[in-house]
Amino acid sequence: MEKNIEMVGRAFADHYYNLFDNDRPSLSLLYQPTSMLTFEGQKIQGADDITAKLIQLPFEQCHHVISTVDSQPSSFAGGILVFVSGSLQLQGQDHPLRFSQMFHLIPTVEGRFFVLNDIFRLNYC
Amino acid sequence: MDPDQVAKAFVEHYYSTFDTNRSGLANLYQDGSMLTFEGQKIQGSQNIVAKLTGLPFQQCHHNISTVDCQPSGPAGGMLVFVSGVLQLAGEQHPLKFSQLFHLMPTPQGSFYVLNDIFRLNYA
Repeated sequence: MEKNIEMVGRAFADHYYNLFDNDRPSLSLLYQPTSMLTFEGQKIQGADDITAKLIQLPFEQCHHVISTVDSQPSSFAGGILVFVSGSLQLQGQDHPLRFSQMFHLIPTVEGRFFVLNDIFRLNYC
Repeated sequence: MDPDQVAKAFVEHYYSTFDTNRSGLANLYQDGSMLTFEGQKIQGSQNIVAKLTGLPFQQCHHNISTVDCQPSGPAGGMLVFVSGVLQLAGEQHPLKFSQLFHLMPTPQGSFYVLNDIFRLNYA
């Protein structure tokens, strides 16, 4: 069970950042109307507004590199907490930014997951 | 009390207890609690407190930079995402850390930590 949760967490993180870096509008598939994002302290609710926020971030291209992924069951009907740290390279910037992000994943009826909770913070040196 | 205030109050209480009375953290965990500490997984209040009191430093001081919280679902749980710095006695430079708490309400009207994930943020 434990190994499964870590595998799901890692697979989700890989998928999420791959979409973010290559097809940002498709992130809308991972959120629902009840989803919440707190992005550098700004609170946004619902797939539409969350996707709009992420699409409008002031850079064309970026690349996430994952350093760590920790996952635990959240006890919400098969929910999983995924805690990621890594770095984010923006096109044209000399130095990558370090970040931490947490996702609370809830299973869907189709056997996948959607993001109910999402909190993102840059880690300044 | 507004959820952001609850989260902030909890976080202050947690780190104050950690910094001054580490074994007092036992009251904030239960048997079902889970801690992942720098990748190491520990379950249950006793084992968690043993891990935290066994950390290789006598004194430390947590300084919180950011606290973000969100409700986690219909059971009244709260996710609290903290970043800050940790100063160890005798060390020149503070360590940066991030930590995620998933708080669940108790019948007595307070919260306990169901999920706890801690990571140092290396430069």
